[in-house]
Parts: sequence; structure tokens; C-alpha cells
Amino acid sequence: MTSAKKWISVTLSIILFGVLLAACSSNSNNNKEPSTESQAPTASPTASASAEPSADPNQPVDGGNLTFSSFSDIVSVNPIYVSDTASGDAANFIYANIYDYDREGNVVVEPWSLASDKVQISEDGLTYTIKLKTTAKWSDGQPVTADDVIYTIDTVRNPDAGAPGISSYDKVDTITKVDDYTVQIKLKQVYAPFEYVLVSSVAPAHILKDIPVKELQDNAYGKDPAKTVTNGPWKWTEWKQTQYLTFDADPNYWGETKPHIQKITYKIYADQNTEVQALLKGDVDSTQAIPVTQVEAVKKDGNIRVSSKPGPTYEFMSFNFNKDNWKDGFVPFAGQKTRQAIATALNRQGMVDNVLKGTGALMNAPFLPGSWADPGDAAVNYPYDAEKAKQLLAEDGWVAGSDGILTKDGHRFSFELQYNSGNSRREQVSQIIQQNLKEVGIEVVPKAIDFAAWVDQNLNPGKYQAILLGWSLNNPDPDGESTFSSKYFPPNGQNMGWYKNEKLDKLWVDGYSTVNQDERKAIYKEIGTEISTDLPYVFLYQYSLPQGIGPRVHFADEDAPEPTLPYGYFFRAINWWVTDK
Amino acid sequence: MTEYLIRRVLQSVLVLFLISIVTFLLIHAAPGGPTQMMIAPGLSPEAFEVQKHNLGLDQSLPVQYWKWVSDLLQGDLGHTFKNNLPVSDILWPTVGHTFVLMAAAWLLSLIIAIPWGIFNSTRTYGLSDQTASFISYLGFAMPTFWFGIMLQQYFSIKLDWLPLSDMYTMGKEGNLADLFMHLVLPVTVLTLGFLASYVKYSRSSMLEVLDQDYIRTARAKGVKERKVIFRHALRNALIPIITVLGLDLPILVSGAALTENVFNWPGMGRLFVDMALAREYSVLMSITLITAVIVILGNLIADILYAIVDPRVQIGKGGKAA
Repeated sequence: MTSAKKWISVTLSIILFGVLLAACSSNSNNNKEPSTESQAPTASPTASASAEPSADPNQPVDGGNLTFSSFSDIVSVNPIYVSDTASGDAANFIYANIYDYDREGNVVVEPWSLASDKVQISEDGLTYTIKLKTTAKWSDGQPVTADDVIYTIDTVRNPDAGAPGISSYDKVDTITKVDDYTVQIKLKQVYAPFEYVLVSSVAPAHILKDIPVKELQDNAYGKDPAKTVTNGPWKWTEWKQTQYLTFDADPNYWGETKPHIQKITYKIYADQNTEVQALLKGDVDSTQAIPVTQVEAVKKDGNIRVSSKPGPTYEFMSFNFNKDNWKDGFVPFAGQKTRQAIATALNRQGMVDNVLKGTGALMNAPFLPGSWADPGDAAVNYPYDAEKAKQLLAEDGWVAGSDGILTKDGHRFSFELQYNSGNSRREQVSQIIQQNLKEVGIEVVPKAIDFAAWVDQNLNPGKYQAILLGWSLNNPDPDGESTFSSKYFPPNGQNMGWYKNEKLDKLWVDGYSTVNQDERKAIYKEIGTEISTDLPYVFLYQYSLPQGIGPRVHFADEDAPEPTLPYGYFFRAINWWVTDK
Repeated sequence: MTEYLIRRVLQSVLVLFLISIVTFLLIHAAPGGPTQMMIAPGLSPEAFEVQKHNLGLDQSLPVQYWKWVSDLLQGDLGHTFKNNLPVSDILWPTVGHTFVLMAAAWLLSLIIAIPWGIFNSTRTYGLSDQTASFISYLGFAMPTFWFGIMLQQYFSIKLDWLPLSDMYTMGKEGNLADLFMHLVLPVTVLTLGFLASYVKYSRSSMLEVLDQDYIRTARAKGVKERKVIFRHALRNALIPIITVLGLDLPILVSGAALTENVFNWPGMGRLFVDMALAREYSVLMSITLITAVIVILGNLIADILYAIVDPRVQIGKGGKAA
């Protein structure tokens, strides 16, 4: 028995030792990383390490730290490979764009843009000329030149690079260097949305040009802060995977407008709920993903400004017109009146008021409300009216069956509505749809599927009867050909509902084949009328995840966040400033 | 003993091999891949295909498995698909972080549970025993994330005594006092979970021993109660507890996922959840394998310790434990 006792104590000692060892080794690992305090000396001489309390709260002060949160880590900030929101958020602080957006989503030249003048588009709409500022510099002191723009676009276009943005450049024919600061791009066809493609950052040719394109994705550029040369107001100083990133104001930043905020921390949390707790505690200054259900609780705090303006995302219910998805090949949605009846039977305003708690806006066409292409009243609105819906269904030949469910030609009107599991908003909306349609005699069977599986097995191949999905728009351009034209049936595109309307197919092409915005506006108005009448989707609402901003963050009205823009959560953040309280 | 050890180790290697194949197949059979987490209008199917090819995901499963295993045998855990980071760079630090958290909770539970269980065994159904029962039920019944959020609301947000989340305050990495403050809440949550079973185990184990003939004999001989408990009963009562501890080792790595999420603890459990959502096969496989190794080791250690403390258990063909 004494040996047993000895063994127990030996085991316990080993465990204890292990604990100490783990604690020590994590210490020593961490000590190797430059601590945030030790980075302070690199601060620009004009900015103090901590913000001075200002007598006038409307007067910007230099210095201080801004912490914002996210629930996903970045992938790479290399402009050639940025495709996810987290990386895009990070890239926005450390890279300048060629052009920028104004609040209305127009492409403009800002003091912090790389371009010196507005893009020149030739009479025939085929040639785009970009003129760059001669003052822009990379963080290693090298100038930003035409070579960088050409290198970036050519690399993204090259299939060997595996760049996610390859489809943005498939209409580019040639790229020519006019001089060191001028680039000319010729398109194969007139493609109006191309202007928006140029609201993007560039990669440094002088660092990357000798790396074989196939190895580019594996290169440390974009993943290792020390090897990532940037050209924005802040430079990347640290990345602790799955924990945080830091950006420091670049003391050698070339722009005439300098950033006020000295240090930005991008903190990664496990989920949205944890983020909200951190916002309430004051651990983070901005979070752009407050779950709608927690908005009231956050507002109650009193110190936090909650912006619940809808973002560049909209939600819809899509019908599937492919006979293969239906028993006996009978598509119950085939009749236009039936689709209009469904839109009429749904209490869409109720969804906005109750599910979104007013943080969304009703939509009747695939154009964001308030944007230049918004067709307004030209798009048909379907106010909630169950009686009218019943009448439309009857006109389309549906009669009530013995169980109260409508039938036509021996087919019960019943369909499966798919959405992704874990999305509580869609779960609630699916229940409302089920309830609303039951009242007019249509049976809905909601089905939740894991997102990745859903995309793989149902969305990409277009295999479903009806879905609840949202689109998050990459840019403010109204072009929707890739989701609505019959050119893009699966597996060659994202018209997953197999919707065919020849009039619309042509109108989408007309819409991007001119760069005259007035002409385009008229075309999208026509599209708005046609698509809202024919209804391949029941357009539901534009929505967003409300952004919360803590009391330390300040900005003038013209620099306030603009959630309707891509990455608009940090609109003109170069002019923002922070105070200690 | 040596023969027994060799046999067990060989068995373990075989089991690990099988586990690696099964998990590889299961993870790859799950629909959706690393390239498909993004769905946005205008993303061309060609872009998906190119990406798939670049990531080697268009190769057959056996080829992918073989590549992964051969790299693994050379100590290379592979790279993540999304940003091509070495898995070992991401994974190993989280293993350490989880270990710190779980070991703290585990030791604290042991320190509280064993004496408490023993005390309760001598005064069954007393106030202390009832309290332990109540806490046990609480520990079993209360969802850890909910308990965690409650603690955060009160001690962190309302009273502002303790940090809300993370392992260190930014800029204080490696500071032991800071680490201690960050440990308090998650360790409290986890300890409640461990306590629940450990108090019960040590109490019942002790009761069982106290009911043995030799204890009755000792008592009849007039040995002092304190001596009966600590010299005669305790040693034997610890045997089953050791087994339980050994078998509980895997919880050290897997059981903390929820707690890690609530407290944003940069550990392996949180990583596993993140990576499962991102379909990062190589990270998931590595975590599964590490967990499997620990389960197998836990079992092995439990068996060995058990054999050592209780000579009645025979191991190997002929030999007895020393």
C-alpha cells in the first residue's frame, strides 16, 4: 500500500508539473510576441499614445485605441485573395482603394483614394482610364504605380492564381500602361458595373511580381504582418490567430488627411452573443452584429448608439420552376396569378415589424430601397390581403380539397420550404409563411438544413421546391443577371430557381450595356415592374445586423457609418476619433 | 508488466489508425466544402472549381487520406484551406490554453470534492451531504453556457470585479495575476460540473469501504474513528476514484467547448467549433486525433494505476503488479 500512495503522489506531482509547464510555456510563447505596450514607440510623433480628453467633444483628438469585434477570423488581407467580410474589414483599414464610395454609393475620388481623378470612360463605354496620385506610397516607401494596378488585375484574371474575384474581370480584354501613373483598361463589351469593380485595393507588384502565380496563395504576404506591405492609413502590426489583429497608424502615411485614431484592434469573439456582452462591458467600441433580439437590451444601456439602418442584403422566398423537383413534374407555382396570390397572402410588413423589430425595409424588387436604381412605385407592391389571395388562387383554377388544402388537376398545393438551420430569423419567417399560406389553403412544410450542406446539395444544383435565402450584394450596382437570367441555370450560375423570362433576360443585358446612368435607371425601372409582376421570388425585405457603437467613438455627421454600403460600418473612419470616456 | 504495456501500446496504435480512417471518411462525407461557405451573387462556378483544384480537393479520397497520413507521420499536421496556415501553429497554442483552464478546474474540484465526499460519508444525510446533493443536481442540470452568462452578467458587467472573457487582457499576455483573474469565472463554471460527480463518487466509494468487515473489525477493536477513516478506509476508497479520474481525462480537451465559447477562451474546444463551421478538415482531424490519443492514454493510465494500487487486479499473462 505504501507503493500505491507513492504512485498517487508521483502522478499528482506529474500533473501539477504539467500544469506549471503549460502555464510557463504559454508565458514564454507570449513573451516572444511583441506586446502591445512595446509597440507604442513606433507611434507617430504627432499622435500621443493615449487620447487626451478634449474640452470640446466635437473637436477631433489624435491618439487612442479603437477596438471592434467580429465573430470570424480573417483569411488573408492580400487584395488578390480577399473574399470574406472579416478579411475585407481588415483590408479596409490598411489598404487604400483606387476609388471610394460616397454615401449614396457613387464612385468618387477621396483624399485617401489612390486615383487622382474620376475614372474616364470612353464614348463607346469600352475603355476605362485610371489616373493615380503620384504621392501614394507603400509602407516600405516605394511609390504606388500603374504597375501595381496592372499586376493586381492580371493576377486576379489568371486562373492559376485561384483568386475569388476572377469573375469580376471576365469582361476585361486588355490592360495597358500609359505611363507610370496611368492605366487603360479595354473591355470586350460595355459592362456598366465595371466602375464598381474599381472600388478595390491593389497588391504591391514590387514585392510579389517574382513569385510564381501558383504559389501566391501560399505566400506569407497577406498573412504575416511583418511581410505585408500596405498603403493605407494604418499598417498591420499583429495577428494572433483566432484572437485578434492590430493596426497602428502609419507614421509615413502618404495621404493629406491623416487618421486620428492611433491604434485599431480587431478582436475575434466566439459568437455574436459574446460580442454583445463585450460591447456592454466596454471591452469593444464597435460591433456590427447585434442579434435583432438583443437590440432593445443594448439600447437600454444608454451609452451605446445602435444603428439599425438596413444593409446591402436582402431576403426572399424563391420558387423553383424546374419540373424535376416536383412529383409528376407538376409545378404548382407555374401560374403567375398563383405567385401573386402567395405574395398577397404573406404579411411581409408584419415580418419587418415583428421579426426584424423594425430594422429592415420592405422590398418589391431586387434593388435596394433608396439606391439610384430603386424603381419605387414602378415595382408592384402586394399588401397583405388574405381574401384577395384566395380570389387570385381561385382565378388560377385552384379549388379547396377535402382537407381544406387547395388542389388543381389532382395535385395538392403543398411544398417544402428550405432554409438554413441555426438562422433564427429565417426560422421565424418560415413559420409566418407556413401560417399565412395555411390560411389561404396552401400547405408549407418548413425544413431546416445545415448551411454548407444546403449550398452543396440544394442551392448550387438548384434542387428544392422553395427556399428562404438572402443575397448580400458585393457592390451597389443593380445588375442582377447572374441570379435571374436563364443564361445562368445551374450548374453554370446562380439562377437556382430555374426561372426563365425572355423579356427580363434581354433587359438585364441592356441594363449593363450602357454607362449612361439615366438610361440605366429607365431600364431598371422596367425590370422592377416586370419582375415584381412575374415574381420569380417573393421579395421580402432588406435587412442588416445592427451596429453598436460605444461612447468612446466620435465622428462628424458626414463621417457616420453607412450600413447600406459594402464595408460601410467604418465609412470614412480615417476622420473618426476616440476619447477615453 | 512490460509485455502488457507493449501489447496495450500496439493496440492503441491500431485503434488510432482506425479512428483516423473513420474520422477522415466522416468529415469528408459531410456535404459542403471549404470553398462553398461563400454564396454571393455573381460568383462563378469556374472560380469554385479553380479553388477546389488549388486546394487539392478534386483528388480522390484515398489520395487525400494518404497525403494527410504521410505528412502526419513526418510530424506535419497540414495546412488550413482558407488561409493556408500550418495547422500546428494554430492548434498547439490552443491545446496549452485548454489544458491550463481544465487542469485548474479539475484540480480545484478534486481538492474540494474528495475531502467533502469523505466528510459526507461519515455524516450521511446531514446538512453538508444534502448541500452536496443539491449542488450535484445543480451541476448536472444547469446548462454551462447559461450559468456562465449569469456569472458574467453579475460579476463582470454589473459589479465589474472580473474580466468578461479571454485569457489575458490585451497587452498583458503572460501576466500570471491577469491570467488568474480571467480564470475565476470559467473555472467556477467548470468546477461546478466536475464537483457534481466527484463528490458523489468519493462519498459512495468511501461508504462502500466503511461497510467492509475489516473496518468493522477495526472499529470493534476500538481504533479511533479518525484513524479508521484515514488509515484504513481512505486508501481503498481512492482506488475507484483514480479510475474515474483517468477516464475523465478526455473531458479535459473536449468538455470545455461550450465554456470556452462563452468566455471566449482561446482553447481547443472553441477552435473545434470554429473549424467545424468552416469545414477545415485538417484542423478537425488533428483535434480528433489528439482527443483520441488522450482518451487512449487516459484509459491506459487508469488501467495501470488501478493495477498498481490494487494488487488483486492481474495484468499480463503471469506477472503481478509490483
